[in-house]
Amino acid sequence: MKKSFKLFTSYNFEKLITLSVILFLFNLVFTYHSTGFLFLIHEILVFSTIYLLYQNLHFFLSQKTDAPLTLVINSGILAAIIFSILSITNSIYNSDSEGNISFNFFNSLLSIVILFILIISLVYIFTTFRELFFLRQKKDPSTYFNTMAVFISLSFLANLFLVFDPSIDYVRDAFYVVSIILIVLNSVRVAWIAFLTKKQKQYLLLISIVLTIVFGLSFSLVMDSNIVKKLIYSFSPGVHTIFSLITIYGMIYFIVIFFTTLFHLPTAEAFDRKALEVSSLMDITKLITQVFDFKELADTITAMTTEICNSDSAWLVTRDKNGIVLNSVYKIGFVDADKMCKLILEKNYEFDDEIKIVESNYLNQEINYQEEHFNSIAVAPLKVYGTTSGYLFTARKGENTFDNDDKKSIQTFANYAAVALENAMLIKESIEKERLEKELDVARDIQRKILPSKLPEIDGLQISALFVPAFEVGGDYYDFFELPDHKLGFVIADVSGKGISAAFIMAEVKGIFESLAKTIINPKNILIQVNEILKNSLDRKSFVTAIYGIIDYESGKLSIVRAGHTPLIRVGKNGLEKIQPGGIGLGLDFAKNFSNSLQELEINLDNNDIVVCYSDGIPEAKNSKLEDFGYERFENILKQNYNKQIDIISNEIMRELSLFSKDSHQHDDITLIIFRWNKN
Amino acid sequence: MADFNVNLRDVGPVSVIDVKGYLDAHTAPELENVFNKLIDGKQFRVVVNFDELKYISSAGLGVFMAYVETMRENNGDIKFSNMKENVYNIFDLLGFPILYEFFKNEEEAIKKFLEAQKS
Repeated sequence: MKKSFKLFTSYNFEKLITLSVILFLFNLVFTYHSTGFLFLIHEILVFSTIYLLYQNLHFFLSQKTDAPLTLVINSGILAAIIFSILSITNSIYNSDSEGNISFNFFNSLLSIVILFILIISLVYIFTTFRELFFLRQKKDPSTYFNTMAVFISLSFLANLFLVFDPSIDYVRDAFYVVSIILIVLNSVRVAWIAFLTKKQKQYLLLISIVLTIVFGLSFSLVMDSNIVKKLIYSFSPGVHTIFSLITIYGMIYFIVIFFTTLFHLPTAEAFDRKALEVSSLMDITKLITQVFDFKELADTITAMTTEICNSDSAWLVTRDKNGIVLNSVYKIGFVDADKMCKLILEKNYEFDDEIKIVESNYLNQEINYQEEHFNSIAVAPLKVYGTTSGYLFTARKGENTFDNDDKKSIQTFANYAAVALENAMLIKESIEKERLEKELDVARDIQRKILPSKLPEIDGLQISALFVPAFEVGGDYYDFFELPDHKLGFVIADVSGKGISAAFIMAEVKGIFESLAKTIINPKNILIQVNEILKNSLDRKSFVTAIYGIIDYESGKLSIVRAGHTPLIRVGKNGLEKIQPGGIGLGLDFAKNFSNSLQELEINLDNNDIVVCYSDGIPEAKNSKLEDFGYERFENILKQNYNKQIDIISNEIMRELSLFSKDSHQHDDITLIIFRWNKN
Repeated sequence: MADFNVNLRDVGPVSVIDVKGYLDAHTAPELENVFNKLIDGKQFRVVVNFDELKYISSAGLGVFMAYVETMRENNGDIKFSNMKENVYNIFDLLGFPILYEFFKNEEEAIKKFLEAQKS
């Protein structure tokens, strides 16, 4: 389609060139075309050339219609060229001789060139007017313009008949007058002026004055019975007619432009603002699809808000379950904005439905510490799917408060912003969730591999071990080491912190215990060594609590050391006893303090005694009221169920624990190890 | 989840940090910020008032461990005061009383700093 159109025009262009050359040669050969026949041919040639020129220029110019000022300036430059050519020609020929032009070869060549330039310029100006005429028109106004073009053409052609019968010049005059009337009618279509910026309008005002004068002077030069008129007239009376019509058109058109621009000037600023609003709204819709970073988006929104409504500051808050969060500030301090929005939102104003304006007299009573003094603040709810997810604040210092137009545009903007923010939030959440889940998977995997897969089977010592990982993997670890001389070593440890970092430390702790348990017999020395090794890998704020113990399952002798861990519980026929030898957590101190604090305890177990090791996940388990499960409940269950199978005791504890914290999620790992020494 | 609040005030040459609510892995960074601010301001004598603290997790304990060394290297310290029994038990279990000074009330802790300054 486009290609064929191009072909068509290039074909037209070739025709134009051919015609121009013919016209040029024709004029060189027949300097006088006084005979009717020659004249007729010449006029038709000129007319066709002009018509084709118009077609070509129209195609060329229709691609540049988005810059009306450029079009105006182009036509202005051409008008100036026409005017200067006319003046120069006038003075050259005038000085030559009074009215008698000697048509030698050089002169006729010069005059033809001049005429060609004039014609091209005129047609160009006319085409420019056409483009301006069509600019920003909603309905198709081509009929009006074409009618005018037809009448201008008729005025041109009417000159042909004058040659045969000069008395019918009223026909030409009639066409001429009708053309002028149509020109006037068409000149008032200047809708494009409204869309110029204020600066452009001021510029246009100046240009239109200059161009009115230039066109006026050109018109008078052509109409004056001087040498120029003679020159053009002798070339072709039609060209002369067109010349005068187009200069009249230019004159009228620029007068109209001048007054229209003048009347548009007071509203130019409002129009500029509106245009800015529209483009800002377009920008934000673009942003919705481009910016996924929540903070960046919030900053852009506040910055744009001030642009849209011409305000001094803006800030944006979102509402979540924890309350109001200030996300972004623009040209206001963070503290000020925070205070101000809390103050406004606390005042039981109903902001959720639509935009509201808070006036200064309302604020002044309470905000006197402000460095910023705002006269009015607009609060627009950020609504998504009917719920308000936050508020957009924007404030003005000056006396002019927000009017209805401002309110409307702020709210429209806020609606877009709300959707954009919601999108960014969702994306952020899903990325975060995915990352967290991956991390948790890794941590869980490490933990699963570290804990013993099966329990040692020993005559005279029953062992039950239970481990319930929390959603956010804690750092619980336990292990058993079968030692020579009917002894069993065991460790229970809890790494501070959660997630992948805790899991890594846990893996390291396992390695250390595994290697030391085989070589060092004394429990205290083992923990001192562990602390020494951990010195190099624990960061300052991490620590590990642990109990290391050795049970002699022949004699029932239990020796333990405790490093900050929850105390051991021993239950026997004589009741319950908490065993808490002194000792600070691993990693709290790497000097003498640690070894000095460690206290090794030896206990002689009675037959059927149970020993319970556990992590703080049990006493610190929380219910929905954030109360602790505590030691009392724990100990009561142990006392009541002491005679049962240790697996059953373990299950009983877990049952009570889950009953207690059924409404809240488990926030820490739970480890529970129960030994029963049963010699028989 | 739960609320946590931290407030910083100066009592003479000593800075007092009031902690309030639940100090756990999620809220610990707030307290860390306060300590960072103190260190930036070359203020190394700190009393932490636990009067309104309801719960402290291992991550919360870690905050003090992370900063106490810096304070002590600069002739300062972190001292604890007004601790509720349940909170104290957590510190106690870990052996903190061996490494840190605990006081019944804030004034005693501040007094201790002032005496150390005189001598």
